Formats: sequence, structure tokens, C-alpha cells
Amino acid sequence: MNAYIAYLAKRLVQFVVVVFIGVNLAFVITHASPIDPVEQSISAVTSFGSTSPDAIAAMRASLQELYGLKGTPSEQYVTFWSRVLRGDFGPSLSAFPTPVSALIARALPWTAGLLIVSTLITWVLGNLLGGLAGYYQRNRTLKLMGVVAMGVHPIPYYIVALLLLIIFGFLWPVLPITGGSAMNLQQGWNWPFVSSVARHSILPALSLILIGLGSWFLGMRSLVSNIVTEDYVVYAETAGLDSRRVLGSYVMRNALAPQVTGLAMSLGGIFNGAVITEKVFGYPGVGTLLVDAVYAGDYGLVLGVTTVSIIAVSIGVLIIDLLYPLIDPRVELR
Amino acid sequence: MPLSPAPATAQGIPQNIPRNELLILENPEGTIKNAGWFNIWAINAGSQSNGLQQAALDTLWYIDPEKGLDGPWYNSLAADKPVYNADFTEMRVKLRRGLFWSDGVEFSSADVKATVDIQVKNANMRFSAVLANNVASVEAPDAETVIFKLKKPNSRFHTNFTVRWGAIWILPKHVFDKVEDPLKFDFNKPVTLGAYTLQSFDPDGKWYIWQLREDWQRTSLGSLGKPGPKYLAYVDPGPPDKRVIAQLNHELDVIHDIAPEGMFTLAKQDKGTRAWFKGFPYGHPDPTLPAVIFNTQNENLKNRDVRWALALMIDVKAVSMAAYRGAATISAIAVPPTGIHPEAYHKPMEAWLKDFEIDTGTSKVKPYDPTVGKQIADMLRPSMGDQIPSDPAVIGNSFGLGWWKTNVAAAGELLTRAGFRKQGNQWLTPDGKPFVVRLMVEGDLRPVMTRAGTMIVQQWKQAGIDARIDVAQGTLLTRRAAGDFDAFIGWSVETWGGHQDLSYFMDSWHSQFVAQPGQPQPLRNWQRWTHPELDKIIEDIRRIGFDDPKGVELGRDYVKLMTREMPIIPLMAYNVFTAMDQTYWTGYPTSDDPYANPVTNWGNSRYMFVRLKPTK
Repeated sequence: MNAYIAYLAKRLVQFVVVVFIGVNLAFVITHASPIDPVEQSISAVTSFGSTSPDAIAAMRASLQELYGLKGTPSEQYVTFWSRVLRGDFGPSLSAFPTPVSALIARALPWTAGLLIVSTLITWVLGNLLGGLAGYYQRNRTLKLMGVVAMGVHPIPYYIVALLLLIIFGFLWPVLPITGGSAMNLQQGWNWPFVSSVARHSILPALSLILIGLGSWFLGMRSLVSNIVTEDYVVYAETAGLDSRRVLGSYVMRNALAPQVTGLAMSLGGIFNGAVITEKVFGYPGVGTLLVDAVYAGDYGLVLGVTTVSIIAVSIGVLIIDLLYPLIDPRVELR
Repeated sequence: MPLSPAPATAQGIPQNIPRNELLILENPEGTIKNAGWFNIWAINAGSQSNGLQQAALDTLWYIDPEKGLDGPWYNSLAADKPVYNADFTEMRVKLRRGLFWSDGVEFSSADVKATVDIQVKNANMRFSAVLANNVASVEAPDAETVIFKLKKPNSRFHTNFTVRWGAIWILPKHVFDKVEDPLKFDFNKPVTLGAYTLQSFDPDGKWYIWQLREDWQRTSLGSLGKPGPKYLAYVDPGPPDKRVIAQLNHELDVIHDIAPEGMFTLAKQDKGTRAWFKGFPYGHPDPTLPAVIFNTQNENLKNRDVRWALALMIDVKAVSMAAYRGAATISAIAVPPTGIHPEAYHKPMEAWLKDFEIDTGTSKVKPYDPTVGKQIADMLRPSMGDQIPSDPAVIGNSFGLGWWKTNVAAAGELLTRAGFRKQGNQWLTPDGKPFVVRLMVEGDLRPVMTRAGTMIVQQWKQAGIDARIDVAQGTLLTRRAAGDFDAFIGWSVETWGGHQDLSYFMDSWHSQFVAQPGQPQPLRNWQRWTHPELDKIIEDIRRIGFDDPKGVELGRDYVKLMTREMPIIPLMAYNVFTAMDQTYWTGYPTSDDPYANPVTNWGNSRYMFVRLKPTK
């Protein structure tokens, strides 16, 4: 038990260090951005009228003060950390004065709903089919699946997404192609809205599943193909154990460990959003928020999303690290 | 072609609103992050093109970039045009009476005064700086009179309250009086002075639905007739491919802008789609002028001979094909060929342009070719057939008049006179280095202009310049302001369109505003160009009224100066491919009946609502 406590303490320290370094990097990178949010704002405002150059100069000074960009980088750094520790990322610059936390809170349920469901479906299906394909290597259907997975896997994501859009949005227009729900519906736990959200999530989820499935399938098939040649599997088979038991208890269990790690990383990554999916399907999630924030030079929002993402991924890895010794005796507690 | 005429698919049509009462328009701002923010007076917050400025707000005057319902000038909340005193230090406005806010309170001069006072008092509001810099005081001696006392003479002060694309909108005093901090007030639900009021909106920012006020007659738009659509939906239909699909599925009545290829697809596949021009070149020309904008503080580009040399190396026909597949309206002069400008500037200056001569130091050339627009039309005719007009007047309006003849030999003579020399096929600067010109483009954020820039770079390279494409993507605004470029494709000339006055951009070109290298440049003179003659023209314009005919003469002097000096190489109008679906609505403004700007984010697009009629 002492060894486990020492292992736990070490991993916790690693977690804090990783988060600290990651958040600092996010701060440095966003502040090194060549995009000036003040100029972005001025451009948006002045395109509305014949504002005089004197007024522009005054506006520039006002905005710098309003956005808190007047301090030195070290002052901004201290302010940033004091806010992060309080869970406050300040106001969004491109949607001033709305707090960054409010924008993330608004977008996160959309991303989480879409990605958790599609990631779990993809993971379960991919591993199950990949495991079967690796174990029953002569099964024709599973072989065919392997060929399909090999064929689909390298296709760029956006091509699959566009194909789905063209097929189900234009040639056979039966599914919504943009947005999270239909117009003029009251958001909440009411059937019209819930069913609309479900319909709108079909195409983005399908595009994620189609591409992700191949990856998990091939990964698991490869792992299982190696494990079935291990002595203990051969021994179990020659001892006459039921093949389903061999597959479930000896093969899949051992093959799943790296796949569980991958799942934890994927779920942690949800806080970063599925950027391309959300942009292609106009989904109102964190990915869209992040891309728009980058283009607008919205430091606060970029920092907010990336910090939440860094912490989420690190927590995912930490949980896996802590669980590993319990589920896999081969992991050493040192 | 679709296999099935299945119903709506994009975001769906609101089931509880009949389609013959609903006009669906694109909000080009996309998905709005803080969707529930309607306080347009707070800086940089919320959406403006979600119908807020088109349908809900109002101000004193409008100028349409097109001909307008009864001329381009509209007295909106004002009863008449502004009246200035002799030295332009006072502006007096008479307001209309009988106009009401959507909550039933009558509009009055107190609202105008509050709009000014609140923004002057709160320094960080959208129009605080412009009002604080100009207004000494504002008086409202009675409910229908407003008197602005100005800090300094300003013959164009009224333009701050004149919508071309946006302006200082009037706020409701009775609402803002109850607000503690107007910067933190979301104005949700907005009390409107326009003919529409908010019906509902998506908290995730994808759509907004506005409903015609029952008392629409008590609004300024109501004086022009009853708006056709009872409901307006401003939606984010997604990227260009989705906009095309949505319109083919009749889910999007008005597209703000798509790529030329998208427009061609719609024109081919959907006979119900109508663009500004019935056939090629389709697009609606904005009153802006895409150009090659030089950084004239760059040592190599200070000399006008060099700038002219670069202009003479360009074949604008190829640029038009690259950018717009030929669907462009070219302009040789530094005024966009749109709105009233062809009549005020382009056509009257043809004779001067034909006679215009450049002395290269070795030879004299007349660079203007009045037939370039016709050449583009002729070039497209074999592939586009009947879509290409044959009437010279229509060709001139659609494709433009003339441009500069490509003349690489004359360009070489000009470079030689400027001290450059050619080594092999490579031009070297006077100090013996390769002549590098980085042409900044916006990348996929503005693909049409990026294509134009790429073609120009190719032409310069062929002529021996070490030209390079410099893709700025999201950094363009920052780099443009800082002068961090050799040249870029964009516009520094924006005009009223429907009015010949050039003050919209010109005043900020005065040398008093030009920044030192490396410092942010205030507004639109991105070329950082100064010239004593230009200053004199601007100062003369400042001293005359907005409608003074002398303004056109001064405008023509400006065009001549710009032509001689070439601080920007004018290319073409910024054609916006606005597609209008006639399945559910007819009566859209077009080049045949140019009564309003159809582009969905323009405030002036509200005037088309009174002409639209349902088809069913």
C-alpha cells in the first residue's frame, strides 16, 4: 500500500507540473499571437461608418484600457493566474463584456453531448469488431470489415463530412446540415427540441464515427493479432478453454489497456471540441468557439478554452495512471 | 439534381410560421457568441447583422448605394436634410413626429440628445470618441428639434448619423435612463424604432426571428408602405457550400455572398435564383474598390515610376478571370464603378483618360485602353453564350470601361529611370538587391481577392520582379494597421455609392493623419500616402457642403492626381454574389430595378422589405 501511496503522490506532482507548464505555454503562445484584438475591434467598429481618424485614436486608447491590455506582460501574467485559480478567465474581447466562462459553459454541453456519445459508440464498436477480427482471422465478414477500415481510415475527415453533407443534405435531403437544432424552438427538456437536437447531431456524429471506427478497429485488431501468439493464449487454447473465454478473459482484457488510455485522452480532448466537425456542420460547440476566438485575437477566450482542455486531458491521464496498477498487474509502482 | 423534393433540411423552417410570411436571410457574421446581446452602443458586442441594424434600429438619415426608392437620400427619423450654419459649427435637425418605439413611447428629440450625452459620458461606448471629439453640446429646444453645437467646423458631421452601412443609431432614452452601466446592459429584449421587433432568437447564436410591428405605420419605414414579410429570419447557414445547398432547398431566400462558382451553380441549377445582374457577371458591386495598395513608406515603392511600372505589368483581364472567373466590374480610376460613380466620374473622365500620357524618360505612352471591359465580355462570350451582353452600355455597366494596357517595355523604362537595373530576367533595386515585392492577401478568408493577388504576383514574376504571395489570414487587420506589408490586395477607397461625395474615405487621407512607419495607421489610408495636392483637395472639400456640385469637380481632381501618382492600383468593384431565391418572394432589387442594396448585412436592405411580395 505504501508503494501505491508513493506512486499516487508522484503522479499528483506530475499532474500539477504538467498543468502548470501547459497553462503557461498557452499564455505565452496566445500573447505572442500576431493578431491585435484592439485592431480587430476597431476594424469591426469603423466599418460601420465614417469615423474620423481622431476618434479612431481615442478609441484605440479606450479599448486598450477596457481590455486590460495596458499593463506590462508580467502584470498581465499575474492577473491571468489569479483569475485561473478563481476559475475566472475574465471577459471575452470579441464578445465584450460577456465572461469567457459563460461562453464556454454555453458551448460545452453541445460538444460534450456530441463527442461523448460518438466517442463511446466508436470506441465500443471499433474495439469489439477489431478484437473479433484479430482473433477470428479467417472470418470473411470480419476480413471484409478490415479491408473497409483500411480503405476509409486514410480518407481526410472533411472529405467524409462533405460527402455526408452532399448525400443527406442535397441528393437525398433528409437530414439537417447545419446548426444544433431547428429554428424557433424553445431550448429545454421538451420533445420538439430534444428530437431536433438528436436529428441535427446525426450527420456530425456519423462523420466522427465513420472515421474513428477504422482507427480503433485497426488498432485493436493489431493488438489482438499479437496477443493471440503469446504463450499463455496458446496454452489456454491447447488446454481446451472455450474460445469466447479465451477471447474475453485472456486476449481482450490484455489488449484493452492501451485502448483505455486512448479513450481517456479522447474524452479529455472533448473540452477542446471537435474543431473540424463543428466548423463543417456549423455546430455551436467549443471547437467553433475556439476557432472564432483565434481569428478574433480573443486572448481571454483562447486561454479559457485551452486551459480547460489542458486540465481536462491531464485529469484524464491522471485517472488512467491511478487506475492502471489496479487493472494491470504488469504496471510497476515506481 | 436532388433525387427527392424533400422538405427543408438546413436548420429547418419554423413550423409555426407560414413560408409566405417569412423571409429568410443570411447573417454573414455567422454564429454569434453572445447571442443575447442587443446593445449595439456597447463596443464590439453582439451581432449587428442579425437584423438589429437592418430591421430594428433607426437613425436620422440613410443613403442608399443604389438609386433608392425615391432617390438615394432618405430622411428617416429626420424630417428633412441637415441645416448647417455658415461656418459649419452648428447643425440643426428637424425630426419627424408620430414615430413610436415598439413599447409605445413616442420618439422625440430627447432620444437623440440622450444618444449623444450617454455616449460622451461613458467613454468606452461605440461612438463615444467620435461624439466627444465633435460635439460641444446638443440641445433639444422642443420635441422635434435638435441642435448640435460642434467643437470645430465640420461640413460632414451629419454623415455620422447617416446610414450607408451603419451609423450612430438612436437609443431609447426612457430605457437607458434606468440603466446603471450602459456598457454592461444587454438590451435584451430590444425596444425598437424600426418596423420590426424581436420575436425569438437562438441562445447559441444561429438564428434570429423578427416580427413586423403591429404599429408599423408609426415607424419611418412605414411611411414608404407596408413591409411584405411579416417575419424576418436572419440565420447562419454555414460555409458557402451549405449556403448553396440551403438555397437549392429553398430554405434561404437571400444569400449575402458566395464564391463565383457557387453563384454559377445556383444560376445553372435553380431557375428561381436571381442575382443583381440577370446573367453574367451576376454579382452586386459594392461601393468599394479592391486595389493593389502599396505601402508608400517602403523605400522601393516611394517613387511613382515604380508604382506605375508595376501597374503596367498587370493584365487585368487575367486578374478578372482568376478572381471572379470574369464576373468583375473593372475600374482604372480610384473610385469604384458602382452607384452613381460611373455617371459622376468614370464616363465623364473617359476623354481625359484616353489623352493621359506617361513620359517614361525614354518614350511617351498613352496607357489607357478604353476597350478592356469589352475585351473581357468578348473573351467570355464563346463559353457563356447569351449570358454575355452585347449592348456596349450594358457591357460598360457590367464589366466596366477601360483599363491600362499591359506594357512591360514601358514598365522597364520607368524602372530604369527610377534607378533600377535588369540583370538577366531579374530586376534589381538601385542598391543592387533583387527587387522583392511581398503582396499580402487574406487567404481563404477572402478567396476572390487571394486569387487576384496570386495572378498579379505571377505576372510580376514573369516581368522580372521577385514577387511573393504573403498570406496573412487572420493577421491582416493588425498588419495592415501597422504597415507591415509591401503591398496588399484590399480596399482603402469606400464611397457612399448613391452619392457623389467622396468624404467617406477621403478625409482620413489627409497628411495630418498619416502615421510614422511602424505606428498604427488611422483608418483607410493604408497606403500611407501623402501629397500636398491631395491635402488641398481634402481641405477644399471640408469647406463646402455635402451636396455642393463643386464636390464632383474636386473628386475629379482627386482622380487625376491618383492616376498620375498611382499610390494604389485600382482593380475592380468588390462584387458580392448575393443570390435571391424567388420561390417564395418576388420584387427583389436588381440591376434592372436598383431601388435598394440587396446585400443582407446592409442597413439599407430594409428598403427592399416594402417591395417584397409573397408568391403564394
